Amino acid sequence: MPDSLQQAITVLQSRFGSAAPRPAAPATPARSSGIAEIDALTGIGGWPVGRLSLLAGLRGSGKRTLAQRSVAVATLEGPAAYIDVAARLDPEFLQRLDARLDRLLVVRPKTLSQGMACIRTLARAGVDFICLDLPGTRATGLDAELPHVLHRISEAECTLLLVHDLDVDDAIRYYASLILGVARCGWVFGTDGDLEGLQVDATVIKNRLAPPGRRVRWVVPYPTRGMTPRSSDVQ
Amino acid sequence: MICCVRTPHPSLIAAWLMAPVLRGRPLVLGGYAHERGLVMVASNEACAQGVMPGMSLNQAQQFAPDAIFQPVDDQATARVRQSLLSTLYRLTPDVAAGDDPGCAFLRLDRLALRWPNRSRLLTVITHAVEAVLSVPPTIGVASSMFVSKIASDQAIAGTPVIVEPDRTAAYLAQLPIDVLPLDDDLREYLELLGLRTIAGLQTITRAAFRRQFGVKALDVYDLAFGIDRRRLALFKPPVRIEEAEPLEPPIDNTEALQFIARALAERVSASLLAQGLGTRALRITLHQESTAPLTIQVRFAYPVTTTGELFDGIRPRLLRASLLAPLERITLRAGQLEPAYIRQPGLLIRRDGFQESIADAVARLQEEYGASTIQRAEVRVDAAPLPDHRILWKPA
Repeated sequence: MPDSLQQAITVLQSRFGSAAPRPAAPATPARSSGIAEIDALTGIGGWPVGRLSLLAGLRGSGKRTLAQRSVAVATLEGPAAYIDVAARLDPEFLQRLDARLDRLLVVRPKTLSQGMACIRTLARAGVDFICLDLPGTRATGLDAELPHVLHRISEAECTLLLVHDLDVDDAIRYYASLILGVARCGWVFGTDGDLEGLQVDATVIKNRLAPPGRRVRWVVPYPTRGMTPRSSDVQ
Repeated sequence: MICCVRTPHPSLIAAWLMAPVLRGRPLVLGGYAHERGLVMVASNEACAQGVMPGMSLNQAQQFAPDAIFQPVDDQATARVRQSLLSTLYRLTPDVAAGDDPGCAFLRLDRLALRWPNRSRLLTVITHAVEAVLSVPPTIGVASSMFVSKIASDQAIAGTPVIVEPDRTAAYLAQLPIDVLPLDDDLREYLELLGLRTIAGLQTITRAAFRRQFGVKALDVYDLAFGIDRRRLALFKPPVRIEEAEPLEPPIDNTEALQFIARALAERVSASLLAQGLGTRALRITLHQESTAPLTIQVRFAYPVTTTGELFDGIRPRLLRASLLAPLERITLRAGQLEPAYIRQPGLLIRRDGFQESIADAVARLQEEYGASTIQRAEVRVDAAPLPDHRILWKPA
């Protein structure tokens, strides 16, 4: 927007308040996922701020690996929290991804409502990125809690990433602004026959912020030093 | 002896605490420059350019075009006043609020037992106020409220003015009669008589003054000698705030219960905000039909004020409460009230209470759900290659 136009709008806003013209759809800020392909896939440059994103996929599809990568990147930028309902977080893996563990709060709630209360409180306190790792069997009651949580994270400009199985409730599908489906296409073996990683196929199932339906495929190595995509093609 | 502690107007202090960059710049409070309204307070820099409280904002902008115009934040102002009084109350219970905003009186007799050295005592008072409000106060000490207030007006920060009782009349003698609370008629009469300083007034006998101006004017005459018969209206910090709501017809579902609890939390929060207070303990009493009332206690790790904070503490417990009968009355009581300035400067920024420190939030969650709920992980590189050995979980 040209400066002169912005200046004119500012004058009108100071004069007429809410009746002044304003952008129809302000751009949604995003936090990087740490993987350039995923950032491009979302269409806005990463996980949207102040909204719920869902990373869905079957067991062994690589969704938790991606989520932990995003958490690792988030810790480099500010405080982050991992709501580890599934008790599957591997801090050593995070450290290999160069995460700052001193900035990461690991919450292990006894019940889902406890976890949601923790999300609300931590978001309000200033935690920028919260990852909710939820096994499919324990999502009962999430639909009732989500409106409160989403209101709070929207206020606090926090990013909420939900890691869940594909068969999520309709309510979660409804509340999520971005749903990324992850599926494993195959294993990657090294020259010596050792398992080195897996090939992952990610599809944007739902996207309120950019066109959905994009797809990317890349290799997720089991890193000792970090994860770098070997090949990718966006369709 | 009475000590008068004066600070700049609490609204100014609140604005400075919210935005420290405003210190030293011309600041006009009362509204934005384009609004219709009057100047409530102006900083010294703005006053130096001709801005005066009471003039229109438009006029003030013409006097001080580079001044910053802001509306008065009443809640933050109340918080600053409460902070000043509470801080002094911690030193001694003999504290009273002055008529002017930013003015408080202390009786020093009890404090003299603890701090026999008066200059040391005044330094303690100065530091206590400055630590809370980030503004050094001016202090005047005299035998009465009236004289101590005048002394504090003449004092500069860090250098108190002390008027010994036997020097009171001489101290007042040099001052113009305008410092006395004169009405227009009396001022005019005194000026017609050629009395422009208190020294001139002191030359008149009390009987003659009474004959000329009547009994009612004797208070002014006494003030001219430093005799102030007003008593300190001692400040009493509030102990609790309670709000209740009778329910007719009785309710028996949690949705309605939450709705009413939130409304009560809003009312308690409004009272807390108006007084600049926070609460560390909430008690909600659910009066059930033909059954003993159910009481739920909520404790906070730090004083909370806003509706959201209060309701967040109540809500999970309300949802867990086992109600045996419909509710016919709900009472919400906030206890352990403390000045909300404890959370400065975060509390005084806009949207206050919305942002709490992560450490406070973690402490609150750990208090509620247990220390092991929120942890930090540390990887010990030199440990054995077993997860239990390599990963050290510590409460956050």
